[in-house]
Amino acid sequence: MQPFQYIRPASLAEMVMAEREARSRDAAARTAYIAGGTTLVDLMKLNVEQPDRVVDLNAIAPAFSAITLDGSTLRLGAFAKMAAVADHPAVIGGFPVIAESLSLAASAQLRNMASLGGNVLQRTRCAYYGDPAWTACNKRAPGSGCAARDGVNRQHAVLGVSDHCIASYPGDFAQALMALDATVILVGAEGTRSVPFASLHREPGDTPDAETTLRPGEVITEFVVDGGPWARRSRYLKIRDRQSYEFAVASVAVALDLVGDTVRDVRIALGGVATVPWRAYDAETMLRGRSLDEAAAADAAELAFASAVSHTHNAFKIPLGRSAIVRALLETAAMEVRRD
Amino acid sequence: MTEPLFPQPTGTMGRPYRRYEAHEKVNGTATYASDVRLAGTAHAYLLASKIGRGRIEAFDLTAALAVPGVVDILTHETVGGQIRQTPSLYTGGYAADSVRPLGSADVAYWGQPVALVVADSYEAAREAAQKIDVAYAVAEAASSFDSGGAEHSELEQHALRVGDFDGAFAAAPFKIDAHYSTPVQHHNAMELFATQCVWDGDRLTVYEPGQYLNNIKYGLAEQLGIDPERIRVVNAYVGGAFGAKGFLTQRTALVALAARRVGRPVKLVATREQGFFLSAYRAETRHHVQLAADQEGRLLAHRHEGWELTSRADLLAFGGNGMTVRLYACPNIESRVNVARVDRSTPGFMRGPAEVPYAFALETALDELAYAAGLDPVELRRINDTDVEPVGGLPYTSRSLMQCFDAAGAAFGWPDRTAEPGSMRDGDWRVGWGCAAAFYPAYAASSSARVRLHADGRVHVASGGHELGQGMYTMMAQVAAERLGVPMDRVSVSLGDTDLPPAIVAGGSSSTTSVAPAIMAACDAIRRRLGLDEGSQGDVVAAMVASGTGMVEEYAETRAHGEAPDTMRRLHRGQAAPSGGIHLEDRVQFALGAQFVEVRIHARTREIRVPRAVGAFAAGRIINPRTAHGQLVGGMIWGISSALMEHTDIDPRNAGYINANLADYLLPVNADIGTVQAIMVPEVDDLVSPAGVKGVGEIGTVGTAAAISNAVHHAIGKRLRDLPLRIEHILEDI
Amino acid sequence: MTDTHDTNAPPSESRRRFLIGSVVTGAAPLMVRGGEAEAADQPAAQAVREPVTVQLDVNGRTHRLDLDVRVTLLDALREEIGLTGAKKGCDHGQCGACTVLVDGRRELSCLTLAVAAQGRDIVTIEGLEGAGDELHPMKQAFIDHDAFQCGYCTPGQILSAVGCVREGHAGSADEIREYMSGNICRCAAYPNIVAAISDASRRMGG
Repeated sequence: MQPFQYIRPASLAEMVMAEREARSRDAAARTAYIAGGTTLVDLMKLNVEQPDRVVDLNAIAPAFSAITLDGSTLRLGAFAKMAAVADHPAVIGGFPVIAESLSLAASAQLRNMASLGGNVLQRTRCAYYGDPAWTACNKRAPGSGCAARDGVNRQHAVLGVSDHCIASYPGDFAQALMALDATVILVGAEGTRSVPFASLHREPGDTPDAETTLRPGEVITEFVVDGGPWARRSRYLKIRDRQSYEFAVASVAVALDLVGDTVRDVRIALGGVATVPWRAYDAETMLRGRSLDEAAAADAAELAFASAVSHTHNAFKIPLGRSAIVRALLETAAMEVRRD
Repeated sequence: MTEPLFPQPTGTMGRPYRRYEAHEKVNGTATYASDVRLAGTAHAYLLASKIGRGRIEAFDLTAALAVPGVVDILTHETVGGQIRQTPSLYTGGYAADSVRPLGSADVAYWGQPVALVVADSYEAAREAAQKIDVAYAVAEAASSFDSGGAEHSELEQHALRVGDFDGAFAAAPFKIDAHYSTPVQHHNAMELFATQCVWDGDRLTVYEPGQYLNNIKYGLAEQLGIDPERIRVVNAYVGGAFGAKGFLTQRTALVALAARRVGRPVKLVATREQGFFLSAYRAETRHHVQLAADQEGRLLAHRHEGWELTSRADLLAFGGNGMTVRLYACPNIESRVNVARVDRSTPGFMRGPAEVPYAFALETALDELAYAAGLDPVELRRINDTDVEPVGGLPYTSRSLMQCFDAAGAAFGWPDRTAEPGSMRDGDWRVGWGCAAAFYPAYAASSSARVRLHADGRVHVASGGHELGQGMYTMMAQVAAERLGVPMDRVSVSLGDTDLPPAIVAGGSSSTTSVAPAIMAACDAIRRRLGLDEGSQGDVVAAMVASGTGMVEEYAETRAHGEAPDTMRRLHRGQAAPSGGIHLEDRVQFALGAQFVEVRIHARTREIRVPRAVGAFAAGRIINPRTAHGQLVGGMIWGISSALMEHTDIDPRNAGYINANLADYLLPVNADIGTVQAIMVPEVDDLVSPAGVKGVGEIGTVGTAAAISNAVHHAIGKRLRDLPLRIEHILEDI
Repeated sequence: MTDTHDTNAPPSESRRRFLIGSVVTGAAPLMVRGGEAEAADQPAAQAVREPVTVQLDVNGRTHRLDLDVRVTLLDALREEIGLTGAKKGCDHGQCGACTVLVDGRRELSCLTLAVAAQGRDIVTIEGLEGAGDELHPMKQAFIDHDAFQCGYCTPGQILSAVGCVREGHAGSADEIREYMSGNICRCAAYPNIVAAISDASRRMGG
């Protein structure tokens, strides 16, 4: 871990101003925001992250930690702890996919520490990224290559991969936000903006180091999720080698609006198999208006992985991901949900 | 939790006392090696090579030395010849491997220590280590069996031949001919590899977790070229070991040397990642097993060929075939072991080192044979049960294998199993039941102990044994309490210090077996001094009062059956090695057991889970069924883990470690473990040692993986022969 | 492939709702408008490598320490304050041995910077006490059920277990198993740990 300057702004305004001034002094200086710290401190110890400034946002956090239901719209402060959201009755009742994605993630201790905003921005678990001794990593050192493509890549992505990076996105909550078409509120030097959560992460392409569309210094303050029948009939299926405290080998978030057996609307997001939180748009389109049975689910699963590209050890993620989609769709359809 | 079943005790030994050190452990006051606080400590950070093989061409230490607070950096250039060679444990020495710490510019494996930074703070030491620039000339590294540079050979000492295997195999009606493999695995005790060294003049004190502190003492003395009596190694609590802490690793001499150079105590707490390279590990194995049986299921032919892997520096193999071919009656036997030498660190002991991989192969093959012959797997083992091992015709000192199968099978509900694979289901889950035998050789070695009796009835027991969590403190107190006839709460215990009477390594499930007789002998000597008979009759306190003596102390040494003549000399040189198992001239001695598991496999997504396991084990006398139960259950969970999770990933391009952390090297978490029941089958064996103990530290983890692979076959009809068993192996098979 | 191309794009851009720069969150009024940040005081910032004075409230006592900002709460407890009950098992948030209670909830001290733990109420295993001379019921239950072997993960297990009960996640054996999965026990005393927590949960009125 390299030395850094520690700053703890008392307000968002102070944070924005300090960051703008710091950048005007030294445009190349690297700033890292810290909330729960569960990703950043880990990567700093590994010497992967070497920020010059660490800006502790915890004095600001209380202003952006609220969990509120505004009509049918759920507003989640980005500094709310994962555990608080996972255990919130309004979330469990109206947005089960969110509660499940959070309670199946990490451990109880980490969920007590980690903020929602930091969680969606957590970094890949690619081993070659996490150890600077592996010199080839386009995400860590742009232009250096990718050690994972011909290395040990069982955990790596099969969707959204490029020639430059196959690192999988490790999170769970992001898939729930994808499946609920959430909106994210961002604050930075240029003010406040609201963007679809689906546009927050960038596929690696030929710049895998640029993981998000966040502008320099910008911070996530809130997630906004519309409720409705699809949100109540939603769930998160996480497949892994051990029962708990592990990243997904494959995961599926499903939000389903079902009339009888017929799909009025459906959203499917995939984790563990893709470079970014992934929406299976083609599968959704195919399912809309169809009656949801084993055959329809299997067709959707087939479509969802039509563009998959596998490497040495991760080809199994394609059939596994398909099976997970079928299981998630049928289990979501079988949920007992109140319609109003 | 189901209460353990255990033999009814007749005295203090055999009762389930709570742990002697329980309060210290729940209050956080038990002092592990890294908890010892020494004034003026400098902190060390190790730099490990990140190449698989090659040579250090140059260090650039400029940036590292510029970090404020750095006081010293040890490299092969700055250490030179200050650390001498000591042979590895496998060649009559002490070390985990034969690579001399910072001995040269040569890098033999990924993770080899190449520098040690010493600084005023941990943060500065870590930063500086991360700023050391090493220029390597990288050479191609062979990572495993199939690598181009691997050197293959057969180890003649493990070859066995009885009867005519080829003829019998060819003629038999039922036969199995299959290949199996097991992966690289690391102990990953929760405690990190920590070492603290402090010099007082020319006397060195070392705080380091160890399963054999005298091994560290005498080996380190050789490395540093000093009188062993100037070194004291202290460690009252070990935070888990499982084999990893039974050797002198390269770090100890480096920390000792650093402390001498900087004139301050030096503390090293190696990282979790570095723990994957610092000590030994379970190397990958391969097996070819051929079994043949007649119409009734009697074994006619048994051939087991093993392939093991080791480093270039140390030629070793565990040769578990010597045990597996002796387990069941069979007239025609052939067995051999091959070894491949590659560019990796030296492997070594890990809980059931030979038994776990070889048992996986044999006990899976037996299940296959049972299906081929149309027999219940338990009945196949009953048909081939024997009191005499089939290679040399030597008797088992005691053997309760089928009692174990019957006890565990009944508790598990085995008779309710339907034999047809895929025939048991529960909703979306496929259910499979499987079983396998467990075995572990009963080993023992020479040990010593000192017991002191005070007139007020207080007893103090001292022996340089080791508390790894197996319950050594409690066991020592129980033995002395029973032998002297005093209450448990009057007995205090010292262990974990090289100034105490030497005891054997806490390994090979032999610690209790070996140390208990020495305590018993010392107690008996006290009784004789007081004019009492041996055994537990007669009031020692009354005798003390009558004699007018304030304190009586006796020291005793005991040796185990079949030990070499020089065993006592070796005990006092930190080189006591257990004997027993199949290495005796007149008999074989084993603890035996039976493992039953239920697996559930999701019909769509193929997760494999083990909701329940039942094991029954016969291991002679159980001194404390409470701590023994913990050992057996823990071992069974290790077996579940070994079967389904643990696998160290090594990149074949450079023999580099990929998942050397606890997020990616999977150990079971609480949610993975359902009900686990360990039954202790009563067994009396007066031959194995005066204490009648066979040891329970390892047997619990032997056979579990085979039981699981057999259960997976039962659940879905697919036979898996390569560990760990994972989703990808069964995706297409339901 | 260009750096803006997105193969996982939705079928129609019209489904997206961009609302740039116009949202006021319900939680708090923002002081920031492009270029018009209020002239608040600069946040206090230490120079790189300059030790900072850190005040930690541990087990009811306040400790003032001059620390490198890189020091974790775990290392501050162990190396500076001398509370060695919290253990380093991985130093990366992967094992739970360093678990402490922070403001009553279980957190990992190895991933917490000490400087960021100021003003929070920290309880370590040494500070977890029962009534009068009695052991805390969770500690007693761990002894009674033999819920440890080597003991190294035990302080973290016990504090995590107290958190588990307080958080209302000790309602059944399965719930305990899931909510205690952040504490790895390599000796694998898991069945006894579950039994101990079930027992202590009753004794704690959970």
